[in-house]
Amino acid sequence: MHKNIIFFVFIMFTTLSSFITIHKFYVSVTQVEYNKEEQALQIISRIFIDDIEDLLKERYDVSVNFDKKEKSSEIDKYLTTYLNQKLVFKVNGKKVNFVFIGKEYEQDLVICYLEIENIPSLETIEITNEVLMDLFEEQQNIIHIKKGNQRKSLILEKEKEAGVLKFNK
Amino acid sequence: MKKILLVLSVTFLISGILYAQNQEETKKVRELGHTNQNKFKQMYDEFATPNMFRTASGAPGPAYYQQQADYKMDIELDDKNKKLTGKETITYTNNSPDNLEFLWVQLDQNMRAKDSKTPLIEADGVEPAATTDGFITKYLAEPFDGGFNIIAVKDSSGKPLKYTINRTMMRVEMPQDLKSGEKFVFSIDWWYNINDHVNGRGRSGYEEFEDGNRAYVIAQFYPRMAVYNDVEGWQNHQFWGRGEFALPFGNFEVNITVPADHILDGTGELINRKEVFTSDMMSRYEKAKKSYDTPVVIVTQEEAIAKEKTFSENKKTWKLKAENVRDFGFATSRRFIWDMMAVKIGGKDIMAVSMYPKEGNPLWEEWSTKVVASTLKSYSRMTFDYPYHKAISVHAKNQGMEYPMICWNYGRPDADGTYSDHVKYGMMSVIIHEVGHNFFPMIVNSDERQWTWMDEGLNTFVQYVAEQDFAEWYPKALGTDKKYPSRRGPADKIVPYMSGNQNFLSPIMTQSNNIHQFGPNAYAKPATGLNILRETIMGRDLFDYSFRTYAQRWMFKHPTPEDFFRTMEDASAVDLDWFWRGWFYTTDYTDIGVKDVKKYVVSKVPTLEAQKFAASDRSLRFANFSDLVFMVEEGSDDYDRIKSNGGIIEDAISLKEYVMDNFSPEERKNLKQPKFFYEITFEKPGGLVMPLIVEYTYEDGTSETITYPAEIWRKNNEEVKRAIASEKTITKIVVDPKQETADIDISNNSWPKRNKLGRFQQFKNKVKGQ
Repeated sequence: MHKNIIFFVFIMFTTLSSFITIHKFYVSVTQVEYNKEEQALQIISRIFIDDIEDLLKERYDVSVNFDKKEKSSEIDKYLTTYLNQKLVFKVNGKKVNFVFIGKEYEQDLVICYLEIENIPSLETIEITNEVLMDLFEEQQNIIHIKKGNQRKSLILEKEKEAGVLKFNK
Repeated sequence: MKKILLVLSVTFLISGILYAQNQEETKKVRELGHTNQNKFKQMYDEFATPNMFRTASGAPGPAYYQQQADYKMDIELDDKNKKLTGKETITYTNNSPDNLEFLWVQLDQNMRAKDSKTPLIEADGVEPAATTDGFITKYLAEPFDGGFNIIAVKDSSGKPLKYTINRTMMRVEMPQDLKSGEKFVFSIDWWYNINDHVNGRGRSGYEEFEDGNRAYVIAQFYPRMAVYNDVEGWQNHQFWGRGEFALPFGNFEVNITVPADHILDGTGELINRKEVFTSDMMSRYEKAKKSYDTPVVIVTQEEAIAKEKTFSENKKTWKLKAENVRDFGFATSRRFIWDMMAVKIGGKDIMAVSMYPKEGNPLWEEWSTKVVASTLKSYSRMTFDYPYHKAISVHAKNQGMEYPMICWNYGRPDADGTYSDHVKYGMMSVIIHEVGHNFFPMIVNSDERQWTWMDEGLNTFVQYVAEQDFAEWYPKALGTDKKYPSRRGPADKIVPYMSGNQNFLSPIMTQSNNIHQFGPNAYAKPATGLNILRETIMGRDLFDYSFRTYAQRWMFKHPTPEDFFRTMEDASAVDLDWFWRGWFYTTDYTDIGVKDVKKYVVSKVPTLEAQKFAASDRSLRFANFSDLVFMVEEGSDDYDRIKSNGGIIEDAISLKEYVMDNFSPEERKNLKQPKFFYEITFEKPGGLVMPLIVEYTYEDGTSETITYPAEIWRKNNEEVKRAIASEKTITKIVVDPKQETADIDISNNSWPKRNKLGRFQQFKNKVKGQ
């Protein structure tokens, strides 16, 4: 029983805390916003530092401590490789690639900034987000997408790693 | 008289606009009537009717009662077989006015029984791929057999009692009804297999180390009496794993037999200290009782390491006695290091205690006990003096869980002893939080099965205060940080949650098992709401007095949500029904903004609008137009007409002339001389009501902030106008400038509209600039 019983603190978004209560909740939150002026999808992804540290250790046999700033470019390299494999966007039916703009830290979160350029219109978007699912059975990846005043959300998890959303013109 | 008119005319102008709107509306199809949907409607429909048990002021009433459950238990830990066996005698006192036909006992461990229904209530699908471990657990493995084995249920003479187990609840039938004021004594013999709390998940269980040793943190381990009260009758809602516990108070005498090389601590006073302590431990303990600054180590790391291979076959019994507690927990291992120090609370010495395996060091020996002591001070200030004699923080991997006087906390350094800031702050915050739970719900004993927020929310609020205190008292704990990085409390931190998809939001007032987004809902949102009340709506003095009143009225009792809501109003004279309704009973959010700003000047000539207005207004119809002052909007059609007539008084000199001609010297003395008149329209797209906090900035760079109480929205929930007469030009208006109301969209908070770059663009520019 087990993975289903997640009592504990759930943490979300920026407030988060893995504190306080019983078990850790495995979650990431990704905000995607369509910026019409820039003709770009601008993506802010929040991931718990300790989770991603565990992941890099397990997957690439590298021990990185996000506190230590000197290893920052090495972390960027692994993050880019990993995110490219696990976070896939299809816009209006076509697969598109993102550019890793950079990252910053906020308490126990790492915040990744990704951008997909050359998006003249956004009608449908398919997002596959398997980030950390290769390490944590219970991982949930929450996606919020905003185009103008239209806001939509997806909760992605193991049996459902992808979702499609449609937007009005 | 005329100066009054000057002021009145602004008011009239506004009502004139409203009047015009009303006229338009009458042309539409007649609307249906409605019930009272006002956001300020009093909470009579939602709140339970006050009665003799619970008063309208939120205090316990003259007929308030609570049941008592006293326990005598003999517990034995079988370390080899990971089994716990117990014999317990419960003395149950019926203080209610009711006859009880049966008793309900909680068998929480049955949530881990093979036939538990907990796994069956989760939505679950087939994954296209799974890890081997995950696959085995889900499809191949036998479920862990962690439920209670009930050997016997007997009355005081040893005669078997009839009982029925319904999953996590056991109904015990008594030979005859238990009348009001009577006691019933019965005993239960039981055992169960202890679970691995690290891999199997759980609030209780063991962690196994590579050397084969285990550290046990044991709780909800014995059949526990359910609560019977005036609100729920028997609180026998099943334990599904999420909504935690509801427990009556009582006295405990517990003898716990463990391997002789174990170190054990738990709820209550250790009454056979001399039998279980070595003489070294005894003398260190005496030293610890007098050490107020530094923890004294009772069992050292070297001593703990020396025992790692002993696996003693002998046994030792630790005897604990606790009065007026609602629960009992203990931790035991031969690997525990143990330290303590004293902290003075209200003239009494309390022991702050930590127990941890060497894996917790060097973090735990440095900070745990100090955090415990600091927490007791902060919470005692915010509520009441901590009434128990000790508070223990036990290090358990991945755990954060609370029991009376004892709690389990995570925060483990890497194998080489290094740790990051987030591990350090994580550990400090979880200790503050879990030690804080001694106050809510261990002493202010709310029903967690029903309402998670009543203990988690209130506790997370005080945790925020305690974290800030801790950093002030132990600045060294911050390293290079300037402030303790609290994650919950400040209003702006709840915005991402409250602006999220409504399909995944629940009102705070939702039964514990049915909540979406447990953490933000039951911890962060109520804590933030209380912080907003304290800092913005009530002020610290009124809030703190009322919060303390609630804590003191209900310490060692069972409060309900209404008791809290009512007390906060009762002790402060602040009507908060609107706040409770919005913040606790709905998923509404705050969004308030500036919609429009109009600038007016004074005209000597009647405007077209004024003529129309005067014609339709009874009080003005017969007035002499020459006695009136007219306001004309800058840039309007009328403005150009009147300006060309020379009717506009727009500069300081002509206004002064006007005042000199129209007011007596007496009247002029007290007259402000505003030059500019503004009508500002504030909009409220959000459903929540909040005070309207507005910062006005003037041309000379000065600014002032005016807070219009929340009641400004009482007659119009969407939009409200204010007239401002000012001697200086207003250059900027900002709503909620310090972001203290959890406004989810601040793009409409400024006039003129600030073209604010989003977080993404800001970051991108920063990166590019480098």
